[in-house]
Amino acid sequence: MLSLELDRIRKAYGDTLVLDDVSLGMDAREFIAFLGPSGSGKSTLLRIIAGLETADSGEVRLDGQRIDHLHPGDRNVAMVFQHYALYPHMTVRENMAFGLRNARVPKGEIDERIAQAAKVLEIEDQLDKKPGQMSGGQRQRVAIGRAIVKQPRLFLLDEPLSNLDAALRTRTRVELAQLRQRVDAGVIMVTHDQAEAMTLADRIVIMNDRRIQQIGAPMEIYTRPANAFVAGFVGSPAMTLVKAALEPGEGPFARVRLGDGAQVETRVSRAGLPVDGPLRLGLRPESVRPAAAGTGTTEAEVLLVERLGDRTLVYARLANGEEVTAQDEGNSRIRMGDRIGLAVDGKAAHLFDADGTGHHAEAAA
Amino acid sequence: MSAAVSRNRLPIAATAGLLLGAAIMVTPLVWTLLLSFKSNAELMRDSATAFSAPYTLENYRSILVGSSVSRWLLNSLIVSLGTTAGVLILCSLAGYAFARLDFPFRRTLFVFVLLGLAVPEQAVILPRHQFFALLGLHNSYPGLILPGLVAPFGVFFMTQYFRAIPRDLDEAAMLDGASRFTLFWKVLLPLTIPAQATLGVFTFLGSWNDYWWPLISATTSDRFTLTVGLASAQMNYAQTSGLGFLMAQAVFASIPILIVYIIFQKQIVRAMAGTAVR
Repeated sequence: MLSLELDRIRKAYGDTLVLDDVSLGMDAREFIAFLGPSGSGKSTLLRIIAGLETADSGEVRLDGQRIDHLHPGDRNVAMVFQHYALYPHMTVRENMAFGLRNARVPKGEIDERIAQAAKVLEIEDQLDKKPGQMSGGQRQRVAIGRAIVKQPRLFLLDEPLSNLDAALRTRTRVELAQLRQRVDAGVIMVTHDQAEAMTLADRIVIMNDRRIQQIGAPMEIYTRPANAFVAGFVGSPAMTLVKAALEPGEGPFARVRLGDGAQVETRVSRAGLPVDGPLRLGLRPESVRPAAAGTGTTEAEVLLVERLGDRTLVYARLANGEEVTAQDEGNSRIRMGDRIGLAVDGKAAHLFDADGTGHHAEAAA
Repeated sequence: MSAAVSRNRLPIAATAGLLLGAAIMVTPLVWTLLLSFKSNAELMRDSATAFSAPYTLENYRSILVGSSVSRWLLNSLIVSLGTTAGVLILCSLAGYAFARLDFPFRRTLFVFVLLGLAVPEQAVILPRHQFFALLGLHNSYPGLILPGLVAPFGVFFMTQYFRAIPRDLDEAAMLDGASRFTLFWKVLLPLTIPAQATLGVFTFLGSWNDYWWPLISATTSDRFTLTVGLASAQMNYAQTSGLGFLMAQAVFASIPILIVYIIFQKQIVRAMAGTAVR
């Protein structure tokens, strides 16, 4: 059953349209991540769900009930803010109790809920401290605790990990994943960090240019990007997109010629591709392997070598000037300036037509 | 001695200059204090006797039993505390409204408030006098308090302070189901306490030291504030009641203000240093 439904949400600030007919359905207890670059409208959409912004048109429904006309406090949602937004003059206990007191929850139940949340978040010994006496990580837990005690139908997380250092961010990410198993509610998280989205979310909503670009499970987004934007945005480093032209032929799969003349045999169905329009070939780094010069699919000059320990990323330039990212072993001996061959795995390649629509390799029979 | 300590030490000339400045400031205060403990008869002979015994508490006893100083002190406390409380309430409400609410002509009204900063009291004293006379408010506590509640600086100061509070807190409180009043009263207002303290101290001191308006509005001795009362005493009784008595009145009058300075010295120093809004 759908828990949250967004129906044709539209929002503009003056003449600037920030959300254009955005619709989305979310299952109960689902974890959805809104992922997109700055200005893509993801935070605005979250704030519309929370009631902190009003949509110009469209409807927001939670458990079948329309909530877009309700006060934020009456929507049965809880939000964790990017900068925590804890009340600095209140203790942790008072911060967590504030919303419950406003909802006239009996005192005994307030104490019980706070004790439970504090135990889960391991902040039992922090309850009488004020936020200013706590570290960033502890404050984050209190902010999560404040949301949990309200027992909402929907949690809204606005870049919840962006203020934490790298080590704490990884730990908190794991804790969020565990926490999610314990609460009987859906979760929407806004982030621009794709690692967070990929590891935490059941589905990712990719947003750009006022619209949803793709909704899908993390690996679906990664392996079958709907368009060139998603292909370029998801994955680190990004998918390489190089110009390609469809070669005439009879086979079921497309064979394309790159700008430097090299040919790549893909597993993308020839049907559905424009016959003579421009194409772009999409290659993830792991589907391009460095090879000895004179071997492989094509040749390139190495521009930069990035050694990451377990693997080495090789940024290389083709003869026609386009750049391609390849992946080598961790102990790669390739150096900047080397001339190398590149072996392209056509079975993992993607094609994008003139309007950016993605065409992907067909699953092996 | 570390380099940092030696760098922080003042040159001898500067130290001497500062000591001289401090001495010039303190000398009248010490002189006033010494005179207040001397009998009038001795001071009539030679005021230099202030430097030698005998000293007496007679002047202070006269204040407590025979003079109107206690009454003036009470009047000053009522007027100053009333003005301070009123200014804090009104400026907090106005500051919140200008910083957070969206209402018609908000910017225009705020400009009018700022223009109020540029209007000197002298420019409005006559119409204000006529207005209060018309309302029959002269020689009353409301008549002494109400003009002090017009505080454009206070409104501006509190507006800026409210603006500096992150809006995330408003939004978190809204999601916590807080009403507009709860948000103001329980979330935002407690965060403005440093600003309230600064504004409160300056309003209290300003009201306590105000001379001109009480001089116009308070027409009988039982409504005099200390400043007006002491001035009238100086004019009327200095020659008969004596210099010592006058000085004791001045010392007595400064005790409340001294207490305020001691309690709120942190806020006063902060405000002077321009670091109150943080």
